[in-house]
Amino acid sequence: MKRSKRIEALDRRAVNKDGFIDEWPEMGFVAMSSPYDPKPSITIENGVITELDGKKRGDFDFLDQFIADYTIRVDRAKESMALSSLEIARMIVDIQTPRKEILKIISGITPAKMVEIINHLNVVEMMMGMQKMRARKVPGNQAHITNLKDDPVQIAADAAEGALRGFSEEETTTGVARYAPFNAIALLIGSQVGRKGVLTQCAVEEATELELGIRGLTTYAETLSVYGTEKVFIDGDDTPYSKAFLNSAYASRGLKVRFTSGSGSEVLMGSSERKSMLYLECKCLFMTKGAGAQGIQNGSVSCIGVTASVPSGIREVIGENLVAALLGLECASSNDQSFSNSDMRRTARTMLQFMPGTDFIFSGYAAEPNYDNMFAGSNFDAEDFDDYNVLQRDMQVDGGLRPVTEEEVIRVRREAGKAVQAVFKYLGLTEVTDEQVEAVTYAHGSKDTLKRDVASDLMAADDLMKRGITGIDVVQALMESGFTELAQSILNMLKQRVIGDYMHTAAILDEDFQVMSGVNTPNDYLGPGTGYRVTGKRWEEIKAIPHRINVNEF
Amino acid sequence: MEVNEQLIRAITQAVIKELQKNGSVPAAEAGNAGNTQTLAGRTRMRPKHSYEGAEKAPQGTDPKEIVIGVGAAFQTEIRATITGIPLEDVIRNVRAGIEEEGMTSRVVKVLDTSDVGFMALQSARLSGSGIGIGIQSKGTTVIHQKDLYPLTNLELFPQAPLMTLDTYRAIGRNAAKYVKGEKVTPIESTNDPMVRAKFQVKAALMHIIETEQLDPEKGMIKWEV
Repeated sequence: MKRSKRIEALDRRAVNKDGFIDEWPEMGFVAMSSPYDPKPSITIENGVITELDGKKRGDFDFLDQFIADYTIRVDRAKESMALSSLEIARMIVDIQTPRKEILKIISGITPAKMVEIINHLNVVEMMMGMQKMRARKVPGNQAHITNLKDDPVQIAADAAEGALRGFSEEETTTGVARYAPFNAIALLIGSQVGRKGVLTQCAVEEATELELGIRGLTTYAETLSVYGTEKVFIDGDDTPYSKAFLNSAYASRGLKVRFTSGSGSEVLMGSSERKSMLYLECKCLFMTKGAGAQGIQNGSVSCIGVTASVPSGIREVIGENLVAALLGLECASSNDQSFSNSDMRRTARTMLQFMPGTDFIFSGYAAEPNYDNMFAGSNFDAEDFDDYNVLQRDMQVDGGLRPVTEEEVIRVRREAGKAVQAVFKYLGLTEVTDEQVEAVTYAHGSKDTLKRDVASDLMAADDLMKRGITGIDVVQALMESGFTELAQSILNMLKQRVIGDYMHTAAILDEDFQVMSGVNTPNDYLGPGTGYRVTGKRWEEIKAIPHRINVNEF
Repeated sequence: MEVNEQLIRAITQAVIKELQKNGSVPAAEAGNAGNTQTLAGRTRMRPKHSYEGAEKAPQGTDPKEIVIGVGAAFQTEIRATITGIPLEDVIRNVRAGIEEEGMTSRVVKVLDTSDVGFMALQSARLSGSGIGIGIQSKGTTVIHQKDLYPLTNLELFPQAPLMTLDTYRAIGRNAAKYVKGEKVTPIESTNDPMVRAKFQVKAALMHIIETEQLDPEKGMIKWEV
């Protein structure tokens, strides 16, 4: 066939490199509604749920049983289930119905009922729902801090710059698993250089992650993964009960923690039980609520390539974020994984969380170039910082970030590098040279830094774990090396675990280490003139992007 | 016997009905409108392979031995990785890497899980040295050690599209060095931030093919390559 030049031009567009597939409910390739999804129903006998969404108690799998026993409020179920799904959907959008009333109704519904409700909403209505149902009054943002070399100096510098740019939480992970303690320590130190009170975590295998937390080398945890089918749960060597137990283990040491789920994972692992992605995600979220977790990271997360491949997939993603908020959970709403070759498409996807605001719009945003992002690429990266700042300014929306100056960036990067150098020296870990600190200070990514002796680093990291080094040792090392203020900041972060207030829903800390959560600063949006508005000092900050025309010098 | 049109139609219908029952072709009426393909009603990617008579892989005792555990669809339903590297070349290179370091290898097929972490851990537990390698048919690979937590590892290569034959050879060499207790420098991490956009749907389909071939009763079987 003779080719049309128009069609050839279109074929070359970035969006046509993305993966798309038709709906296929038998394999779980269906976003919002599968013909095999159950219909909502509930039967309660003597205070026990004996039938849930068309399944008798005797046929429950462990997710059904967990949800029936720990999530659904039996005392409210009759009243809530009597309301039609359409009625509840309308109340979610209605500016006269307060968040608290919705939370009460939702506490008595079943997962299948939730699916029906969400299916009544279009994306604008979902965003209106999110604007009202988000737990914390002020939205927030989270960064990924990683690099290809697992270079601790770069982690500290990027963490400092990220904190300076406004991220309230920072998450690292490793290229090589055994680097975990180095990455955790570097992130802990660097974050406090950029802005006091930033929370940090190291996403690694769960037992290691818990140990790092208990030792005070991290200040929260996120990667407690849950799944929507029993089969996938078992494949991960887990049950809802073991996850609830792990959640309690963190709580017992006063650490903030949230779960992680997201649509598409069951499809990717080949065990979707023919259900829609939204239904399976509702199972995850109901389970999370029942386990007593304060929050969740969700929105397809690392399986976004699957969810985004089917019709209405991106609508499903904001839909599942809204389900989390409806259940009263803190929602760290993904946007943390690259899924599209098209700049237009990846930006549009993020607007659904950016415009209404969520507790953490990204979970997280790559605060390094994406080639250094060891979560296999985020939806936005360090090269998008200015675009993002302009979007905040264009729409007068608080996306959690702020413009910075080059001088500030260089200053905090250098100080973070020097602090890590001092701590490594004091604790007898591998050497950090002045040249390395200097290279990292001015670097964009790991292509601009020096090579490290990986084998020696790993031996030192193993040794650090064997010696039982804790957060207090880091404080001491900083103190003894002359970093008094930084030592005090990290001590203040460790004190949070004794105070415990930051375990409340959607908690972040301000620069005075004061908690802002859904409990002491709850979202009170009820239509125009209410809720959080971008005004005053914060609006001035957002306005001040670099590259404005200076009229005086024109 | 006279073969007329009516008879042929009857036979065809009977065959289609049978195929629909085991899910190999979609039911015609389940087709969706418009010009999207008809996938509804189809329940499998590939027919089930029979492992009737397969021999169970024995526990290894040779301290120089590394077990390579391959995925359920390896070299049967799937013959090349997600980027088209032939699977026999993958195996040949991993084994060559192991031999270069003076260790020996044995290939088994893992039929009770398609999770690469568990494939690698089970291979490590089966191997005489306690070091094992798990390789999914799409190419994702893990080096594991028998006494580590399941979801941790010695080295993980999560992005199958970035794998080359050199990487597979280096994996074999490093696995052998772990056996020898040497100071090992892990293979340098690689990263393509656009890999999900380009490959995740294909990865999901390949994993479905692998997972639907599982045969948990058989466990781990001998696999000749």
